[in-house]
Amino acid sequence: METHVLVNLLALAIVAVGVFVGRAIRRDRLWRESLVQVWRRQPIAILVLAAFIAIALLDSIAWIGGKVSGEDVLAQHQARSLIDRTFQGVSELGYSEPRAEVLFEDPLQRLNDPGGHLLGTDILGRDVLHRMLKGARVALLIGGLTSAIAIPLALLLGVSAGYFGGRLDDAVFFVMSTLASIPSLLLLIAIVMALGRGTWQVCFALGITSWVSLCRVSRGETLKLRELDYVQAARALGVSELRIIRRHILPNLLHLIVISFVLLFSGQVIAETILAYLGIGVDGSWGQMIDQARNELSREPIIWWNIAAAGMSVFSLLLAVNFIGDAMRDVLDPRTARERE
Amino acid sequence: MLAFVLRRFAYGGAVVLGVLGVLFVLFFAIASPDDIARRALGDKARQSAIDTWKANHGYDRPMWPIEDGQFRADSLLFHHYATMLRFEFGDSDYDGVPIAERMRAGAGPSLTLTVPLFVLEVSVSILVALFVAVFRGTYIDRAGLVVSVLMMSLPIVLSIIGAQYLIAKTLAWFPLSGYDRSLELMSRFLALPVLVGVISGLGGEVRFLRTVFVEETSRDYVRTARAKGASEMRVMLYHVLRNSLIPVLTRVVMQIPFLFTGALLLESFFGIPGLGSLLVDSINNNDFATLRVWVFIAAILFVVAQIVTDLSYALVDPRVRLE
Amino acid sequence: MRTLRFAIALVSSLLALSCNNNPYADDDSGERVIYGVFQDAPRRLDPAEAYDVVAHRIIGLVHDKLLEYHYLKRPFTLMPGLALAVPRAEPQPGGGVIYRFQMRRGVGFGEDECFELSGGRGARTRDATTQDIAFQIQRLADPALEVQVRDSFMYIRGFGEFMQALGERRKAEPAFAALPVKQQYEAIGPMSGVRTPSATELELELTGPYPQILYWFALEFTSPIAWEAVQYYDGKQGRALFKDHVPGTGPFRIAEYDKQSKLVFVRNEHWWGKQASDPLSAPGAFYPTEGEPGDAEAGLLDPQYVGRRLPFVDRIEVRRDKESIPGFYKFLQGYYDRSEIIKESFNQVVVNSSVSPDMAARGVRLSTVVSPSWFYLGFNMEDETVGAKAGERSRKLRHAMSLAIDREQWIKTFLNGRGLPAESMIPPGLFGYDPNHKDPNAGLDLPRARKLLAEAGYPDGINPETKKPLHLTFDVYATSTQQQLMNEYFVDAWRKLGIDVELSVTSYNEFQNKVQRLAYQVYFWGWSADYPDPENFLFLRTCAQRRSTNGGPNATNFCDPRFDALFQEMRVRENDAERLAAIQKMLAILEYEQPHVELYHQSEYLLVHAWFHNLKQFGMSNPMGKYYDVEPELRARRRIEWNQPTRWPAYALGLALVLGVIPAFRTFFRERQ
Repeated sequence: METHVLVNLLALAIVAVGVFVGRAIRRDRLWRESLVQVWRRQPIAILVLAAFIAIALLDSIAWIGGKVSGEDVLAQHQARSLIDRTFQGVSELGYSEPRAEVLFEDPLQRLNDPGGHLLGTDILGRDVLHRMLKGARVALLIGGLTSAIAIPLALLLGVSAGYFGGRLDDAVFFVMSTLASIPSLLLLIAIVMALGRGTWQVCFALGITSWVSLCRVSRGETLKLRELDYVQAARALGVSELRIIRRHILPNLLHLIVISFVLLFSGQVIAETILAYLGIGVDGSWGQMIDQARNELSREPIIWWNIAAAGMSVFSLLLAVNFIGDAMRDVLDPRTARERE
Repeated sequence: MLAFVLRRFAYGGAVVLGVLGVLFVLFFAIASPDDIARRALGDKARQSAIDTWKANHGYDRPMWPIEDGQFRADSLLFHHYATMLRFEFGDSDYDGVPIAERMRAGAGPSLTLTVPLFVLEVSVSILVALFVAVFRGTYIDRAGLVVSVLMMSLPIVLSIIGAQYLIAKTLAWFPLSGYDRSLELMSRFLALPVLVGVISGLGGEVRFLRTVFVEETSRDYVRTARAKGASEMRVMLYHVLRNSLIPVLTRVVMQIPFLFTGALLLESFFGIPGLGSLLVDSINNNDFATLRVWVFIAAILFVVAQIVTDLSYALVDPRVRLE
Repeated sequence: MRTLRFAIALVSSLLALSCNNNPYADDDSGERVIYGVFQDAPRRLDPAEAYDVVAHRIIGLVHDKLLEYHYLKRPFTLMPGLALAVPRAEPQPGGGVIYRFQMRRGVGFGEDECFELSGGRGARTRDATTQDIAFQIQRLADPALEVQVRDSFMYIRGFGEFMQALGERRKAEPAFAALPVKQQYEAIGPMSGVRTPSATELELELTGPYPQILYWFALEFTSPIAWEAVQYYDGKQGRALFKDHVPGTGPFRIAEYDKQSKLVFVRNEHWWGKQASDPLSAPGAFYPTEGEPGDAEAGLLDPQYVGRRLPFVDRIEVRRDKESIPGFYKFLQGYYDRSEIIKESFNQVVVNSSVSPDMAARGVRLSTVVSPSWFYLGFNMEDETVGAKAGERSRKLRHAMSLAIDREQWIKTFLNGRGLPAESMIPPGLFGYDPNHKDPNAGLDLPRARKLLAEAGYPDGINPETKKPLHLTFDVYATSTQQQLMNEYFVDAWRKLGIDVELSVTSYNEFQNKVQRLAYQVYFWGWSADYPDPENFLFLRTCAQRRSTNGGPNATNFCDPRFDALFQEMRVRENDAERLAAIQKMLAILEYEQPHVELYHQSEYLLVHAWFHNLKQFGMSNPMGKYYDVEPELRARRRIEWNQPTRWPAYALGLALVLGVIPAFRTFFRERQ
């Protein structure tokens, strides 16, 4: 019933999973060393990503109550996150420049919070920094949720097709070729137009369009792994199929999964900016902020802070993710490991 | 070999049928003809106008072949498959122009943008990647990688807006947008979109190609060639480039179908009346008929490109046929 | 060879930066040309079917009508166009009304090859007659055409019967349906209410009084259409489709029609205005000698134009720029003469209700006009919470929601202050508009809104049944992100009352579905007048136009018998005191019941360069290209002045690249040696 309670629990669950994965990694020597190497290569990128994740988690934990300043009567009945509470009651009548004291269009009108808007306010007088920080959660939600849909789907279909072969393989391969034949952006647009707008719909559509590549790779890899001696031996010994997949196949796919997760992630955030341009993006996303702000560039004097804030956020998140992805590939992928000798 | 070719074509055909099925579900089962009509006629439309429109566009048929226990040969599903497979695309839902004609008219402008873009991007990225690979491990390599990742992380919407503001408005080097069929004007108009396209695609290409080249340079035969005293230039151009042609060509060939489909955002922002711009228009106008045809043609091009790649592999490497 | 030349040209443009940013061919011959821009491609040019602003901007230049609007006078005044005079209503025994039009002689169609069908080989034009108008009225009744304004023509005697007979005959006889439409119409026979005693006379008989019919004869729906064109342009053998190629009798004809990127209009060599003798008998062929107060100060009655024969320019070229930013920048560079501020991109260059100092220094002027339009937030009156079923309670809720919205601020934010807060449905310039009237239940008054909300049973927005903030949905269909901001403004405003309004953004399809199921509560909509008469607004709240039962544009589903009775009385009256009284009573009912929140009447913005003359905005989509003039010399000078390329960054960048690479080469070669 209470969505914010659910979201809080979900955020806690994500933290718990994070802790669990972290402990698992600490126990496993290979992974621990790999991650240490990634950290050595890209400490700044990892810190940036960690900051985004922290902001997103802070924005996910919300509760009702507490003092509300300003005119927003409804706010006291609604769940607000820590981020919302930091920025409450500081909306203005319209644009104001970063750290300005007066309204942008009416220098006679003093702001409600003079000098308090580090990145200025947007057309509705909302604090741009607030919106920018809230966008982090949306961006991570898009990347994370989509991966949560796409990766299990791709693994389930790819591994079982590769491992069991036969009719199942034929069917999976046919679905894959069909979906791969439709340009993914078009399929994405078509699904969103058919399902309607909304965060879940967009993430679902992104998930549907992005599982194919990982599925193809994991199918191919499973085909190879299936023929390996120890897998054959395990089969001859009568070990159950599920156990073979769990013990011998999946662990060997892990580096592929990690790398494709990183690639998927940045791909989704970029795809969302294009959807936002077409008017079918996710509410509160940076893509939407960019699209709302792009016409402001033609004003004289120019209103640059909206698009700069959103643009820099997307850019720095993608940059961090791409750098980390690069480093991970170098460290984890046996093929590129060779070139480093 | 013949059996392989036939099987490959049959499979391609099956995939095309599958694509048509996906299209039907997306565009008829989910968005009903009434809604399409309402969208096409606008806010002020009356029910009578909607009915006329539906009849004129053939949307007044039953949707599924079996409805109320009766078999309907004139159902939308059959009609959809029959017309599409015969390449009878009909008229646009939005303005009634024959879609085939519109697609033909759009292909030209799209190709004039994408072909130079493609050629420039491939040649520039190969050059830069070779250059970076030669200097691997030096500051040039590191700078090249950082710049590539920077370019990859910039959404194309931002690059376009930035380029228009900086290059076309402030510096006044090129026209902001537009298109013309005369060569002199056309090249003037295309310079900026080509530049933006090359820049936004360069990062990913260079990064991919660099990996391929560097991997190739660490092979034994390259060391042998070097040991024999071949110049670095000769090693790179003669050995490395030639031997990495297969992964490079695969990537390049799979991009060819997208040449025909144009560039969505570049065309929209730069006013090039090509297929990408047509697609954005059809999305904005809910022109489902055009969208359907568009996706269908893109899928066919893709399937054909795939068959061509597969066949050329099969010609080169007989083992592939066994699979 | 072409490819090679193209490649060389492209590469040299990229490398040498030798060329400029001129989007036109460099040889501007000094012709009087207007350069314009359009954003959306027109759907179709058939005057019977076209019903969008873009298409009307085009066909208005190409098609002349029996009547026209005076260019300068406001309120809007009809004057003769193709007709010799504006006809008067002649009431008939039995309730019918007759209008007799006299059409001028020598009304020539623009050059077109379709006239070979009637005039033999080589024929390129012919004179238009009243038969061509009668033919077009028959086309309006043709059930196969998507005519969106058909209801208004149902008053013509025989119109409905013609439509029905044509449809039935086509269904019964496939051979008949295959004939050219002209023969089909002739077989069904003329409409009893549309008679053409001679080539210059048109007698129109209506079944009852409908004074608004004259406005329809100032719109392109009733312009003379050549049957030859309908027959000839069938899309076969390389011929265009009729909907993309319609020759007309207007001052211009279309020379190039590439609707995805470029339209070119040139003068119609056979335009009737060329032989017109004097402004008195042919006011549409000469620049007006009088206007409304203020026109002389605005430079609209410049002696060098007054009374002179139209049109002034030789050509009008319009390019397509889908995105508003590139289009706008091109205006700033002088490549477009005017920049329309279209659709959602209000937040352009206007600062504090006038052009910025920088723009003013360039000689840019801002022209605004309040157009006959009206935007509002509608309530669904059949809803359980906000609708009429909840009686007094919902009425107070609606008043409270109306009083929470600061329309002035909204207009300032989204329209740069150039809009007029609406105090009733009726916009300025129309009969029944009262500039001194204030709607007591509109405009920001938070204390009163909170009080009304408490009286409605929702103190501080809390719904006593759920003990939670009252939850409503504001239903909009997916629009641009710019429009999204406008919607969010309202939601934020209602938050101040404590009402939890959810912005439910759905696809257009879902939105229409909701409308059909009546599952909507609040929506944002507008209406632009087809013609300047209050009837065109007030009918929006009649029972007959209810969306729920009749599929009409009254999406509030408001229905009040008193209102309807007053509407019937008002509709048929001339503009007299009794009509005014009826209108005021109707507006009072709406104010009390408040099925909608009055928002604003939209202003049309236009930025114009110094070399563009005689611009007076019209507000409705009637293009007035024949009145405009440009100064090509000034324009050419300014374009050069404003577009000097700055080349040094390119050289600097190249130099930096070279310098950055040199050290690497040096180490490289040192190692090799």
